[in-house]
Amino acid sequence: MARKWLTRLRLGLWRRDQDDRDLDDELRFHLAEEARLRVDRGASPLDARESARRDFGNAQRVKEVTRAMRTMTSLETIAQDLRYGRRVLSRSPLFAFFAIASLALGIGATTAIFSLFNAIVLRTLPVKDPSRLVALSFVAGGSRQNNFLTYPLFERLREANTTLDGLFAWMTVPRIAARIDARTEIVSAGYVSGDYHRILGLRPVLGRLLDANDDRDSSATSVVIGHDYWRRRFAADPSVVGTQITVGDFSYTIVGVEPRGFVGTNVGSTSDITFPLRASRHGTTGPQPWTATNWTWIEVMARLRAGVSQEQAAQELTSIFRAMGPGVKPLPNAAPPTIFLEPAASGGQSTLRRNYETRLRLMLMLLAAVVLLASLNVATLMLARAEARRDEMTMRLALGAGRWRLVRQLVTESVLVATLGGILGLSFAWWASEALLRLAVRDTAVTAIDLTPDLRVLAFALLTSVGTCVLFGFLPALRSTATLRSTGRHEVGARRRRWLERTLVASQTALSLVLLVFMALFIRSLQNLWARDPGYVRANVAMFSTDARLAGKKGEEIPRTYRTMLDALAALPGVRSVSISTVAPVSTSFYFVNGVGRVGERELRDGERVRAASNFLSPGYFATMGIPLVAGRDFDARDDPDAPKVVIVSERLAGKFIGPAVGQTIDFAGGSEVIGIARDNRYASVKDAPRDVVYAPLFQSAGALANLQTFEVRYDGPSGAQLQAIRTAVAAVDPALTLFNLNTLEGYTRESLSQERLMAATSSYVGAFALLLASIGLYGLMAYAVTERTSEIGLRMALGSSPGGIRSMILRDGAGTVLAGVVVGFGAALWLVRYVQGQIVDLQPMDPASFAVATVVLVIVAAAAAFLPALRASRIDPIVALRHE
Amino acid sequence: MAKRERYENRIELVQGTLDMLILRTLQWGPRHGHGIGVAIRASSEDALQIDHGSLYPALHRLEKQGWIDADWKMTDNKQRAKYYHLTPAGKKQLAAEKTRWSQAVGAIARVMGRRRSPA
Repeated sequence: MARKWLTRLRLGLWRRDQDDRDLDDELRFHLAEEARLRVDRGASPLDARESARRDFGNAQRVKEVTRAMRTMTSLETIAQDLRYGRRVLSRSPLFAFFAIASLALGIGATTAIFSLFNAIVLRTLPVKDPSRLVALSFVAGGSRQNNFLTYPLFERLREANTTLDGLFAWMTVPRIAARIDARTEIVSAGYVSGDYHRILGLRPVLGRLLDANDDRDSSATSVVIGHDYWRRRFAADPSVVGTQITVGDFSYTIVGVEPRGFVGTNVGSTSDITFPLRASRHGTTGPQPWTATNWTWIEVMARLRAGVSQEQAAQELTSIFRAMGPGVKPLPNAAPPTIFLEPAASGGQSTLRRNYETRLRLMLMLLAAVVLLASLNVATLMLARAEARRDEMTMRLALGAGRWRLVRQLVTESVLVATLGGILGLSFAWWASEALLRLAVRDTAVTAIDLTPDLRVLAFALLTSVGTCVLFGFLPALRSTATLRSTGRHEVGARRRRWLERTLVASQTALSLVLLVFMALFIRSLQNLWARDPGYVRANVAMFSTDARLAGKKGEEIPRTYRTMLDALAALPGVRSVSISTVAPVSTSFYFVNGVGRVGERELRDGERVRAASNFLSPGYFATMGIPLVAGRDFDARDDPDAPKVVIVSERLAGKFIGPAVGQTIDFAGGSEVIGIARDNRYASVKDAPRDVVYAPLFQSAGALANLQTFEVRYDGPSGAQLQAIRTAVAAVDPALTLFNLNTLEGYTRESLSQERLMAATSSYVGAFALLLASIGLYGLMAYAVTERTSEIGLRMALGSSPGGIRSMILRDGAGTVLAGVVVGFGAALWLVRYVQGQIVDLQPMDPASFAVATVVLVIVAAAAAFLPALRASRIDPIVALRHE
Repeated sequence: MAKRERYENRIELVQGTLDMLILRTLQWGPRHGHGIGVAIRASSEDALQIDHGSLYPALHRLEKQGWIDADWKMTDNKQRAKYYHLTPAGKKQLAAEKTRWSQAVGAIARVMGRRRSPA
């Protein structure tokens, strides 16, 4: 066989001719042989030849038939099958609609999540040879693995390495105020070391990109802008090069535009304007990071030299690191300083990726289950149809059609359904992935994510469609063309059990129960988060952030502006109290004191040092937030810059003191007196546990004042009017002050739960869809069973069965299938919940309520689905039914 | 088909049995198409006349199914001819068809042998 195949392949185009010639030869030989036979029996050679030919019949016709036997090409058959399939589908539009729609929704939702997954996790950076990029992180002195490096370390690694084709550093700032053409606007900024663009291998679309000369010293003034920003802000103006941009007191010149498609090295954080790294310290006074060995603030990536492995490079960088000393006092038994490399072809450490990778994987798995469900469903429908088409198939088999030919015909119909479903699904995915992204990410303008479907997404959709098709196509096709038995339709009471259909419906039920349990868990978990006592009063608080420095304020003007704002806001009607904090009550960025070493009289040993969070507050914060002071007093006007340093600590931290904490000192800001204890609260997130917190007076700390500040306003009455009033009041203080994220605390909280909300929303979609599919499957099965048993039911009724009796007979029939599904699904859910354990809060994974709700909902819907056919059965007219056969 | 009036004592082939006969004939070794026809006729003592018009399509169909395979060889008279032989799959197929055939024959025989007419 193999030899023959090879020959055929080799012959290629000539094969057909060759086969034809062979056939000619074969027939010619036959005729010659027949003639010889006849001569042997005594005929004259001429007669023999002619009679042989005559008896053979029409040789041309024989050749044609033989050829057809051999060369009925696959392509011809496929076209034929497709035409036939289309006709068959358009004859049963309801079936076609349902099959295609359920596949489209299943494939669509899965592809939507996959596009997100692709964009956030898989897609490689649009740079030269991304597979050789690696991201650096380090461990030193017993610290956790840190992907932010110090500048001296970066510089040393850059100079001393021999295994890299370059090393670059960057940091991003999501929002800065920039003045362009006398207009101030908020842009996202990236600060990059000089050879960033060169090492990434990027080419400008306009002007030039940054180089090492741009990043020599603090006089750096060249910047480049992103392609997207160029189109958005400058309408792709080719004369943009040379435009001046002012940030703070410094002026920069645009020298070029980055290539299209490049939005930075970390997924989800883009830069409208890219500055040289040195420019990041413009306008700052005090210590600088260029020589500080404990200031970890830049992310670093490197390009491996050709032929160098990641391990070799990591070894070399580690030895350079160890030779220079880590710059941090090592803890005893700490692991030696080490540099770690990670492949960075798809970008460096990204918050977005960290937050969503596991969740997206989980969602993909849930959705895969739904696609499976949708296929099972279509399979059930196909089986029912196959049943109905038994006569057609019997006829065709009897007329001599090969079984495989019929299977192929049926599979072609499935392919048709799957293709249509896949195409619709893909368009649905396009729309849905955008919607999901908006749900998942707070600010899509700042978080540029490329969702354009690439080959990978298309391939994914295609594979899913093909997979489903094989699943739902083959089984029914095999079944309906299997050796035919007596259909039993004419025998009253002899019903076929349809084990295959029942198993399919039962597995659908089981799968939907699992998905419903997940849905219940995620929804209850979200509710729990929302219902958690955060330790403050969430209602009736408005918040916004602002930075007086962006309005051009300097030095003493900054606290003065904030005080004026506090007074103006407090004077608004309906406002009860106002405050400022450096860390917002719901916030993703907060600061830590690295190891409080002494509380009161108590020296803390290395292992006990407290990693406390720090926050800087104006007076009135605790009143505004509704956080009671357990002891002591709030900050007030006494705590000015000249007064002794004071702090308020959280209850948890206060517990570490010996005796009452108030009146003792703590080693914060060079020793501060504790003047109060605030009740524990969920410091920066409702997902957080209460922390050790040190609160210090904002107006006592010049360092804290040089930050973005968040204002909290507690008010009475409706929030809409208050938000507007706040905006107006701030503008009255100084129109140059920009308000970021003006929203209620409830709104902030909702946004901070976007990941959980995404999970809840997706699992609801998945659960509801699964339930719908399963109930349609059940309905189909029951309806078919009733049709099949029409005469039996008619007979039963003629013999005296009540309609109620018939109803419960049909319902019992369905109940068995559902029950089997519920039992299996329950078991599967119990086993599978371990995979979502990490995603749910304040809830046992085997939460009885979730399991109960899911089961009850499933049973109710299943009962409804089975009731309609049962109702119809009970209304069967016995006369009509019996005459029917 | 065209020869019915001339051979009233010959039996029309039951649909699907030609394949079985070909396979059976090839069980004794490779043969060319003409040889197969002659062999069937001979072993049925001339009762079965193979219509050559259906022999070749059947051979090619069986070849495509993978039940028989063919090689071009020289005959004793030094002519080039296509010799067919059974494949292992063909042997299995033959066994299956034999079983089915004897069941069918048994069933028909029982029907034909029944004396009492149905009520």
